[in-house]
Amino acid sequence: MATEVLLPKLGFSMNEGTLTEWLVPDGGQAVEGQPLYALESDKSTNEVESPATGTLKILKETGETYEVGTVLAVIQ
Amino acid sequence: MRDTMTSEKPAEAKVKPVTILQGINQAIADAMEADDKVLVLGEDVADPEDGGVCGVTKGLSSRFGDKRVRSTPIAEQAIIGAAIGASLVGYKPIAEIMLMNFTTVAMDMIVNHAAKLRFMSGGQTHVPIVIRTMTGTGFASGGQHCDYLEAWFAHTAGMKVVAPSNPADAYGLMRAAIDDPDPVLFIENLPNYWLPGTPPEPGSVVPLGKARIAKEGSDVTVLSYSRIMNEAMAAIKAIEEAGVSVEMIDLRTISPWDKETVLASVRKTGRCLIAHEAVTQFGVGAEIAATLSSELFGQLKKPVVRMGAPYAPVPFSKPLETAYTPDAKRIAEAVISLAR
Amino acid sequence: MMSNRPTPDASTQIEIYRRAALLKANDERSRKVIMNGRLVMPYYSYRGQEIIPSATMVSLTDDDYLVTIYRGIHDMLAKGMPLNDLWAEVAGRVDGTCKGKGGPMHLTYPAKGIMVTTGIVGSSMPIANGLAWGSQLSEDGRVAVATFGDGASNIGAFHEALNLAAVWKLPVVFLCQNNLYGEHTTYEKATSALRIADRAAAYNIPGVRVDGNDPIEMYAAAKEAIDRARAGEGPTLLEAMTFRFHGHVFGDADAYMDKAQKQAAVEADPVPRFRARLIADGFATEEQLAAMEAQIEADIDAAVEFALASSFPELDELTRDVYAEGVAA
Repeated sequence: MATEVLLPKLGFSMNEGTLTEWLVPDGGQAVEGQPLYALESDKSTNEVESPATGTLKILKETGETYEVGTVLAVIQ
Repeated sequence: MRDTMTSEKPAEAKVKPVTILQGINQAIADAMEADDKVLVLGEDVADPEDGGVCGVTKGLSSRFGDKRVRSTPIAEQAIIGAAIGASLVGYKPIAEIMLMNFTTVAMDMIVNHAAKLRFMSGGQTHVPIVIRTMTGTGFASGGQHCDYLEAWFAHTAGMKVVAPSNPADAYGLMRAAIDDPDPVLFIENLPNYWLPGTPPEPGSVVPLGKARIAKEGSDVTVLSYSRIMNEAMAAIKAIEEAGVSVEMIDLRTISPWDKETVLASVRKTGRCLIAHEAVTQFGVGAEIAATLSSELFGQLKKPVVRMGAPYAPVPFSKPLETAYTPDAKRIAEAVISLAR
Repeated sequence: MMSNRPTPDASTQIEIYRRAALLKANDERSRKVIMNGRLVMPYYSYRGQEIIPSATMVSLTDDDYLVTIYRGIHDMLAKGMPLNDLWAEVAGRVDGTCKGKGGPMHLTYPAKGIMVTTGIVGSSMPIANGLAWGSQLSEDGRVAVATFGDGASNIGAFHEALNLAAVWKLPVVFLCQNNLYGEHTTYEKATSALRIADRAAAYNIPGVRVDGNDPIEMYAAAKEAIDRARAGEGPTLLEAMTFRFHGHVFGDADAYMDKAQKQAAVEADPVPRFRARLIADGFATEEQLAAMEAQIEADIDAAVEFALASSFPELDELTRDVYAEGVAA
């Protein structure tokens, strides 16, 4: 079953965040609990863990800003 | 035994008038007698402290004991917080905030808690408190002791706001407010405390949300409440002498206000004056005027007129203070002008 | 060291641990679910502070009252808030304890005495006084506990509430969880008192500072205060020392937190430390505790799924519960 990787809301006033780096390559193996990507908001930079284990299919590019809730990738 | 066999016409049973203050006192006493969950708290409210700064709560602590009637420290947040907490567990506290300007000290408790706990708990808890508070110009107490702030609380979903203009309504509204399952702000006017009127029927209840048509008429509707209602009534003579038929409506409850009665009246007359002691700008009159304009757009013969205090703090100097507040003379002029 | 201080027996210690383990697991899951983007909500993590409510609430019954604050999910869970009702509420669902209309900062569950949760710093205390006044009038022996942080000890409502509680000798316990930070500001920069417990002297009530991360000490201090209140001896100010592992609101960079201080606190994590102590003292086995923790995880799994499967409230809930039923909002 596919798991969506959603951009989280971190912090009170956050509405969007910048996806700065994928820590697992497209098509690579994501492992639940292991760092998956780096997220920058105006308040902080966070390494976000993978929500599931499986093959990573990247949907969104780095260097762009996305709204909270955006589907960044899917893990199969 | 009175001798009725005289040449005078038979005397009607002489009805001794009571004052608004007595009406409120009686209502609280009757409610406390009927229900031992009713409590009273506030600064100086108990008898050792004179039963309230004006004596509104006189006799209550002596009669019902100092567990149910408590004089508090000068601590408005603590007063309202205690009332809220007790009301969550089955009590009906009547908390006094001595002057309406001091509600500002307890705004968090009133606006963030009393008004909102029912909603935020999804209906699991509710806050059946009464907050009694006194205000009004006329005693030269200046900018921080005379404000009418009802618009703030009417603007707060979850609060109810009432303001009686006479003893019978004071009694009946207080009885209703005490039994209301939600927080009610009960506004008392200082100079009007000693206004006499028809005594209330013991046990009578004036339902919240019902206005009273104090006088029927056909040319102009006047809406008011609290002390200014009495100024409006005093303007009737001058208005009628000018040949105008005025309908006088005492709102009694500011929020929720009696839209049905008011709309029916203004639909009939097409002309409306709203008079209140509070500052005109952003006041209760503004909300009612907007509603009238929206609901009766084609039927108004003239725009709705609002009369209140100027956009300034209450001044200390007597002639300024007098000029600050609507009175019978100005109300009469405004009504006659509306009727032209 | 007083020899007549209340000490928790073996089963009480295990119960304290069970609650602490639940709180820890719940916090970890909350942060995970937020990071995964599955839930959007402001989250005020209590991780590091689990021992305080766990060791306190075991001395309260369902009839006793709790008034807590936005960083209070640990207090509520320790008091007995059911997981499903909690998770559905923080997910904004209609099956939440407040029909989704309160959210994490206003969780309410009267059946377990969780009467008010407030988002306003300091406002737990005046309302707890009211609940305690009700108990005093009813003579029902109930105690009200108001929890709050070190920051709240500087707000006006703290002064007004402690003073009134002292004057009326109310059956209330003021439980300050001093985690050394008020929002982003350190204790030293915000608070004039050397110890918050010292402020009790100003109200002529007992003030007790305790290591909130030590379950035995916390249990003793809390039980003494609760018993005092129940016996009609009036309020106590408890200052329970602790540390929060994450920022003010989850997602904060928490760069303002002293790194060494934080590292030391994390290394001294009171929950695994208590776990090890229980086993070392022979009160529980590894197998028992592992089984307990597995059950907790399963319960949380079920609660999260319950919440996410629940519907959102219908739009008519917007104007329901503003007043009693039947009154137009």
